[in-house]
Amino acid sequence: MPVRERQVDFSEYAAADKYDELITPQGTARAGAGGIVSHLRRLTHKRLIARQQAADLAIQAMGITFTVYSEGENIDRAWPMDIIPRVISLREWRRLEEGLVQRLTALNLFINDLYNEQRILKDKVVPAELLHSSGNYLEACAGITPRHGVWAHICGSDLVRDGDGTVYVLEDNLRVPSGVSYMLENRAVTKRVFPQLFRKHSILPVDDYPGQLFDTLAELSPRPLDYPEIVVLTPGIHNSAYFEHAYLAQQMGAELVEGPDLVVGDDDCVYMRTIHGLERVDVIYRRVNDDFLDPEVFREDSLLGTPGLFRAWRKGNVGLANAPGAGVADDKIVYTFVPEVIRYYLDQDPIIPNVPSYLCTDPKQREYVLANLAKLVVKPANESGGYGMLVGPASTAAERKRFAALIKKRPRNYMAQPALNLSTAPTLCDGRIEPRHLDLRPFSLQAGSSKVSAGGLTRVAMRRGSLVVNSSQGGGSKDTWIVDTER
Amino acid sequence: MLSRVAERLYWCARYLERAENTARLVRTYLQLSLDLPAKAQPGWGLVTEVLGAEEGFSKRRRALNEKNVLPFVTLSTEHPVSIASTIGMARENLRTTREIVPSEAWERVNALHLYVRRRASSGTSGGRYRMLSEVVQRCQQITGLLSGTMNHGDGYQFLRIGRNLERADMTSRILDVGSAHVLGGKVEQAPYEYILWMSVLKSLSAYQMYRQHVRRRVRATQVLAFLLKAVEFPRSIAHTLEEVRASLMRLPNPAPALKAMADVESRLEQADTDELRGERLRQFIDELQQDLARIHTQCDRIWFHPNA
Repeated sequence: MPVRERQVDFSEYAAADKYDELITPQGTARAGAGGIVSHLRRLTHKRLIARQQAADLAIQAMGITFTVYSEGENIDRAWPMDIIPRVISLREWRRLEEGLVQRLTALNLFINDLYNEQRILKDKVVPAELLHSSGNYLEACAGITPRHGVWAHICGSDLVRDGDGTVYVLEDNLRVPSGVSYMLENRAVTKRVFPQLFRKHSILPVDDYPGQLFDTLAELSPRPLDYPEIVVLTPGIHNSAYFEHAYLAQQMGAELVEGPDLVVGDDDCVYMRTIHGLERVDVIYRRVNDDFLDPEVFREDSLLGTPGLFRAWRKGNVGLANAPGAGVADDKIVYTFVPEVIRYYLDQDPIIPNVPSYLCTDPKQREYVLANLAKLVVKPANESGGYGMLVGPASTAAERKRFAALIKKRPRNYMAQPALNLSTAPTLCDGRIEPRHLDLRPFSLQAGSSKVSAGGLTRVAMRRGSLVVNSSQGGGSKDTWIVDTER
Repeated sequence: MLSRVAERLYWCARYLERAENTARLVRTYLQLSLDLPAKAQPGWGLVTEVLGAEEGFSKRRRALNEKNVLPFVTLSTEHPVSIASTIGMARENLRTTREIVPSEAWERVNALHLYVRRRASSGTSGGRYRMLSEVVQRCQQITGLLSGTMNHGDGYQFLRIGRNLERADMTSRILDVGSAHVLGGKVEQAPYEYILWMSVLKSLSAYQMYRQHVRRRVRATQVLAFLLKAVEFPRSIAHTLEEVRASLMRLPNPAPALKAMADVESRLEQADTDELRGERLRQFIDELQQDLARIHTQCDRIWFHPNA
């Protein structure tokens, strides 16, 4: 019988050397995944494919896109989503959630300390050179304490699970983390495709995220208003995350502004140009990088920012999320110190561990890295989007040679981690269900209080064996279900 | 509302209306070519003229016939007048303001864009009448959706101003070019004057409403009077001006725009449609179009680019 006509079954799916998020090595469903797995088993491949096609059409019709830069051009592509959800049990999620809040709390204390007293450097828990060599440290921010002492209000941490089931934090994105709109849209699409499952199982809703984001931003308002004027600042239509900027503004009922829409007045307050004239802005959720935010302080050639914005923020006349300079703590070298940072400020052990990392600045560790490039993943300190990294097991000798030279030349720019045996989940590939590697990006919010999105964005490497999940590099995504199994 | 957003909504509505009107015009033209003997046909140059694309077309040095003009004004994206280009621009304006309009409306505009693109890439010329009707229908649906689901606040007023200014512009163009061809047309067309005027009405979806309103045989002066002055007909100049005025009144500081409105309203009121023929009609319409352009300029100065 051709595959298309056969029922979905997982008897030959399980691979002993990998951790699968839905299926145990014995071929049974993991905690929380029972509902979706038994539902899939009742379908033929043909019907499953038909549902995937329905989802693809819905994505096209809803205009869910992302932009890739290719050969100097911006291409607007339909968002790739695999319809088989990734499932996490509520019990496990509660622990992860606690770990994420712990981590962000410590990171914010750390950033505020770095820009003020620098106790952690004086106590030699983190080496002082680290700060001065970090490209993300902004001298202009020294001496500032933003409202609530919080610098990173929105954090996207990437979580991965290794072959033995341990969940690690792979990196923290504290500058302008993106992806949350896709988490929301993936859910909207899945609800269209598997409505009956949502009725039968207790799956945590994700739709309250925009409301929580709004509340978090509102807490940054310099004026005590019931309805502070909140805007989303985007670099514009050509930015790869423009879809998300527009989406979040729409969901929050906030204005979506571009740099030239804003103006800083003689009173050092921020205004936007409206049909009623100039209107005061209280909080800016900025999706423009630090460098481009204010040509008076940062890059002079920036056309994306607004002159005087930094001055207005420093005087406390406008809230900026995330605060300029928050990126000092998402440098990949700083990352290696986060467990110590958590212990130092909170006197707690990290709930979610870091991936063991090797610093290329340390001669011994560097030697190890250079000798084991084929086994390691080498990451540049300051890049995002999966650019400029070396995935050892999938690399050629020439690439390894090139990276060895780069590391020797600028050790501060690189760190390395063992190539994890990333967990997998069943994914529909060319009409068959196959295991594919994935990660998870939950979104944490912090101002006066802290919240975490229910789940996050699951990104999946669509090519067999690939570990690269970035959508700019051919990755896909899945809806993420936090399932309450005790109800 | 941000000035930039107001401007984009305004243009989005203009482009959508332009796409719909272009589809109506071409649809009527295809019908007309079935009704008239070859030597009495006004020629496809008329379509490019109405759309203001004679120059763009003549650059291509191709014969002015259906085979060349039809794709040029419908599915090709090589010139900004085509339905496909116009819808593309409506979509682009909405894409950058999609947080303002109900997401369903954005989905419909996006779907329309995808539909036209799909039709263009399928490369077949069959079903073009159906395609044009589909475009008209979908544009109507979007207009209805916006009217029925969006707050009738500032943003909606800019959509309404854009839509009605564009509609007035298209009605005046069709009157201008249409009457020039019918009234100053070929001798062979004389027996068909009635059919030609009917086509002018039909291209504005005005035929049936005209009959209800005038209840007489279709005659030039009455068609003119109807399309210029019949307030009850939603595509007449008088009606579109009423709509624009109503929206302007709801926006902040509309005085300079209302002054421009008053000029065009009095010009329309004073026009004696019995006297408007040939050169005088052309001149009247030229002036009318300049008036409409002044309303646009005022909107631009008050709301879109106040400091420029």
